[in-house]
Amino acid sequence: MNHLKAGKFTGFIFYMIILLFIVIQSYPVIWVVMSSFKSAEDIAGSAPYAFPASLYLGNYAKALFSSKLVKYFLNSTVVAIFTLIGIIVLGAPSAYAISKIKFKQNEKLLTFFLIGMMVPIFSCLIPMFQIYNDLGLRNTYLSLILPQVGFGLPMCIYLYTGFMRFVPDELMEAAAIDGAGHWTKFLKIMMPIAKNSTVTIIIYNFVSIWNEFTYANTFMTKDTMKTLPIGLNDFVGEMGRRDWGATFASIVIAILPTMIIYFILNRQVMEGMAAGAVKS
Amino acid sequence: MKPKNRLEPWLFSLPAIIIYTGVVIFPLIWSITYSFTNWSGVGNKVFIGLDNYIRLFSDKTLWTAFKNNIFFMVVGTTFQLIAGLVMAILLTNITKGSNILRVVYFIPCIISSMAICKIFEKMLSVQPLGVIPAIMKFMGLKPIAFLSEYDLALLWVSLIDGYKFCGLYMVIFYSAFMNISRDVVEAAYLDGCNRFQQYRYIRLPLIKNIFFVVLVILVNGTLKGFDVSYILTNGGPGNATELVATYMYKTAFSMSKFGYGSALAVFILLESLAAVGIVRLFEARSHKNE
Repeated sequence: MNHLKAGKFTGFIFYMIILLFIVIQSYPVIWVVMSSFKSAEDIAGSAPYAFPASLYLGNYAKALFSSKLVKYFLNSTVVAIFTLIGIIVLGAPSAYAISKIKFKQNEKLLTFFLIGMMVPIFSCLIPMFQIYNDLGLRNTYLSLILPQVGFGLPMCIYLYTGFMRFVPDELMEAAAIDGAGHWTKFLKIMMPIAKNSTVTIIIYNFVSIWNEFTYANTFMTKDTMKTLPIGLNDFVGEMGRRDWGATFASIVIAILPTMIIYFILNRQVMEGMAAGAVKS
Repeated sequence: MKPKNRLEPWLFSLPAIIIYTGVVIFPLIWSITYSFTNWSGVGNKVFIGLDNYIRLFSDKTLWTAFKNNIFFMVVGTTFQLIAGLVMAILLTNITKGSNILRVVYFIPCIISSMAICKIFEKMLSVQPLGVIPAIMKFMGLKPIAFLSEYDLALLWVSLIDGYKFCGLYMVIFYSAFMNISRDVVEAAYLDGCNRFQQYRYIRLPLIKNIFFVVLVILVNGTLKGFDVSYILTNGGPGNATELVATYMYKTAFSMSKFGYGSALAVFILLESLAAVGIVRLFEARSHKNE
């Protein structure tokens, strides 16, 4: 099983390929961090792959203090928090009902939700736009929260039912105080047991909500309501020339939260996103 | 477990049903009804029967977008399958540090497509010189503005989109490899199976199911490709990187042709359902052949 047995030369090639992938997969991020510390002259004057001449912080100052980036950051945070709450608060009880309460339409209800996994968002975008326009929801947080909750529910319910099904009824009965109703069982027993599923669902959705582009680009036209991904398109000054330094700094600020969460919870993030992809 | 009364399960699920129906199911049905009308977003919808659908067949831009999308699908799927598999195989073959390696390999997956596109826009630019043309120049080649070359832009769009997601398939393949029983691989090793044969005859056939799952995700995902093309090249130069979803989006939201845009939206729905059906068919056939 040891690759070193395969001979020194193949071993060398093997490690070179590993290294090549490391460089390819991480270089863009390293590069953008490096470039964000370059002054305008440095960006224009030095080779694009060179290290910054000095640790110039002007780009960050510009991104934080003379642009709306902080507001975009806030918008993204509000949308992410409420979307996640919405998905869990609506999804978990439905999954509980489907998997733990006996009624005639259990399976039909699950199928009804699963249909949503096959629906491309582009097939719903035009009527959504129309509805939000008529209800005056464009340029409100709701216009980003609602569609992402709706499209997030099928996955959430699927993952939760997959888990809750295998929690034995006896366990729930034994742990519940005599005569406890379903709401008590759901809140006091099921939700704590299903903690891992909740973490998976939150992480998977957080990454996609934080990076969401299409809804934000369609429904948020007002400058103050933009989210981070859309806001990165700012910093185009006179004559359409882009202020790349400030753009790089904003990119670093925008990817920082996902990066931090990722480095702390990397296993859960990778497994959560893979589970999300496989199930949809 | 039994409900307290007939209403109880619905109390648990009604809020989700309402939101989900309002967000996904209603708009889907409305899209289909809009597709039979001529409508600019304001004013009356005029019922025109199948006219929008007949128009689909003679719409040259749509067929260009469709052709591009097939290319995008084939290149993107192949690239991501191979990159994901190679990374997963590398990981299964090292003893130390595989976790750190996995973390690094996965980085592009958690970055927004907007950020990725902005980074690549700058790295690929020729004026001022970006990293990639600079490397070409260093190697004695003539720097090319890839994104403004009619023949190369789509390839780069496909690769950048694939680059963003290939880490996901690494994780999926890696955990599939890890789930293979050690005994099987060990037995093969004792029988004198070399590394290549191990993958060719044992590990890869054993993860065939996962392979098809990944194929479905990739085909389905690339057929709805949107972000990279829309942000990085906005479909250009000319129509070189126009995809079906970007064409639909522009038709509806830039040209205000909501009726025709809805017909394109239905086209996207049918196209991805058909593609998934085809992959499933192949899967069923490959199981029969065993």
